[in-house]
Amino acid sequence: MRKLRSLVLATLAVTALAAAGCGGDDDSGGGGEAGGEPVKIGASLPLTGEFSEPGKAAKQGYEVWESMVNESGGLIDGRKVQMVIKDDGSNQNTIVADYNALISKDKVDLLLGTFSSLLNLPASAVAERNRMLYVEPAGGAPELFDRGFKYLFFAQQATADKQGEVWANYIADLPENERPKTAAYPTLDDPFAQPTSEGIEEIFTKAGIETVYRETYTIDNPNLDGIASAIKARNPDVVVNGATFEDGVGLVRALRKADFTPKIFYQTTAPSLGDQYSKAIGADTTEGIFYAVSHSKEASTPGNEEFVAKYREMFGGTEVPEDAADAYATAQVLQAAVEGVGTIDRERQLELADWLRENEVDTILGPLSWDEAGRPTGEFLVGQWQSGVPEIVLPEEAATSDKILPGWTPEGAGN
Amino acid sequence: MTEFLQALILGLLIGGVYALLAAGLTLIFGVMNVINIAHGAFLILAAFITWSLWRATGVDPLAAIVVLTPVMFAFGWLLYNATIRPIRKAPPAASVLLTFGIALLLEGIMGAVWGNTSHSVRPSYFTQSFQIGEIFLPKAQVFGGLVAIVVLISLYLVLTRSWLGRAIRASAVNPQGAELVGVNVASVAALTFAIGVASAGAGGAIASVLYPFLPGSHYQWIARLLGIIVLGGMGSLPGAVIGALCLGVAELMTVTYIGPEWATGVPYLFVFIVLLLRPQGLLGTRLRQDVATA
Repeated sequence: MRKLRSLVLATLAVTALAAAGCGGDDDSGGGGEAGGEPVKIGASLPLTGEFSEPGKAAKQGYEVWESMVNESGGLIDGRKVQMVIKDDGSNQNTIVADYNALISKDKVDLLLGTFSSLLNLPASAVAERNRMLYVEPAGGAPELFDRGFKYLFFAQQATADKQGEVWANYIADLPENERPKTAAYPTLDDPFAQPTSEGIEEIFTKAGIETVYRETYTIDNPNLDGIASAIKARNPDVVVNGATFEDGVGLVRALRKADFTPKIFYQTTAPSLGDQYSKAIGADTTEGIFYAVSHSKEASTPGNEEFVAKYREMFGGTEVPEDAADAYATAQVLQAAVEGVGTIDRERQLELADWLRENEVDTILGPLSWDEAGRPTGEFLVGQWQSGVPEIVLPEEAATSDKILPGWTPEGAGN
Repeated sequence: MTEFLQALILGLLIGGVYALLAAGLTLIFGVMNVINIAHGAFLILAAFITWSLWRATGVDPLAAIVVLTPVMFAFGWLLYNATIRPIRKAPPAASVLLTFGIALLLEGIMGAVWGNTSHSVRPSYFTQSFQIGEIFLPKAQVFGGLVAIVVLISLYLVLTRSWLGRAIRASAVNPQGAELVGVNVASVAALTFAIGVASAGAGGAIASVLYPFLPGSHYQWIARLLGIIVLGGMGSLPGAVIGALCLGVAELMTVTYIGPEWATGVPYLFVFIVLLLRPQGLLGTRLRQDVATA
């Protein structure tokens, strides 16, 4: 209910602000003509609030790209890049104000997207109204691409409804005696989690895997014990949980409390958050959990090694958050379009968008290409936790582990 | 049948915790006619303090109650004297606005101190359960429920067996009369408010183990707690307990038989129906705003 209300409010705000912005956007044409002036690239990220973890990681990704581009002589005509990053506080209204300010007040030359479908939904509308190219690092909800936008591109391998496809097909193609017979789909009411789980269910149903439980819960419903108990009563072979972080962790705990272990367990988002996930549920408990992921730090995609090295140099640690890699890839896509067309002119951004529709871009996530609506046309990687470490198991050419564990063994490694 | 029993037991366990949280709210209302909208924020504040204690010392969050209750009691007493006492003669609407303001302020402070991200306290037993036949009883809920019962019983004993309790009840039923027989109603009110906040402290420590929380979580809690005390009959302690158990069971039954997306809505529908049939609430009597009549 609250989500609906904020969505309505955000829509109203977008409309009002975009209308207000329309009158004033002719003054920006001759923005940065002076030769040495940096190219200003604007983004607003959720650096505080509910999405602050991915938001901060995305900021790091953009900064890694900024420094790498500048070290290699700049983006275009020898002009360096200057990122202008605002904090939207994970708020749908603030982000609309932020992108309007970036366009009309800060007069940025180019835009980059923000984090989560929920925020990209209104932010991309501001960009579209101002006819600015909008490449986003997250925001795979199918509804984003059903609005007929011309300037919106998603810089991951596939939209949410296809996120679980590779894994679902792998399970569906298992030999008869190993293939699960029944499945449960507890899912968070979220524009990303829900289509992912529905996409998997579709493939499973075709393969004859019967749905014994499908329920949606809200983020403010803390009664995951009740859900775990209902799932236990139906005893499914496989549980597919469309989750973000907290509820995903909560459901794993609730299943453990209910002492129910499905043979196979798949979760969206939460297991891809590395250390945070294994700390929250315990390293032993992670053994064999499947998830989808866009990036692997071991991948041999062009430029990945340099990106990982630079990330570690700038921010330390051994882990490279997936969200930082996605942001970096997003900037790579923008860079490819700018170099392909040879312009950053605010009046010629449609050419940049058209270029992306016609070309494939090599990124650290692998080659990306898009359909008319800006939907990526690739496939996600499948990850699995093995001996306390997140590994890539599918597709084979990207795998970092030579085995796929048959299922979830939360008592620890072993069988 | 197993499923039904399981839902019933989980509902009762969680209802026990709700009861403790609602007790303080209904007490404050009964004695002072103050609808304390900040009650949820006190609870989340206690949860954050528990989290910090647990992080720093590894102390069991339920044992932290021993520290938290007096700290929250003192905090409540100071807060009452600083903010609520000056508006005691103002209409109840003023206290709603004031305590809502306090809730917003606390939310901001908690965001600045602990950050606007989700926290949870995870003692070693929090993924474990007791198993009785087919039924599982999560240890965290069982311990939380037991502690809640102990705190509630002590609260009940204080109200019914001690001089302070009699003074509190006297102030609730008839403030002028209480003054006449030598009860200092103003200081009793301060103590009642402090007791209410202290009970939120104990409840917050328990809730920190059961649910993840962030500064904004207090909205969700105050909505639920107001629902409970309205259901039970405002100002009635036994009513709050019964209302809390009903709401806890209603939530779990909804999750089990209707669907989890309705879990936040259906219990309020239940409250709505009860109020249509019995506007004074389950144990409330018309025009009586007393505490612990039994």
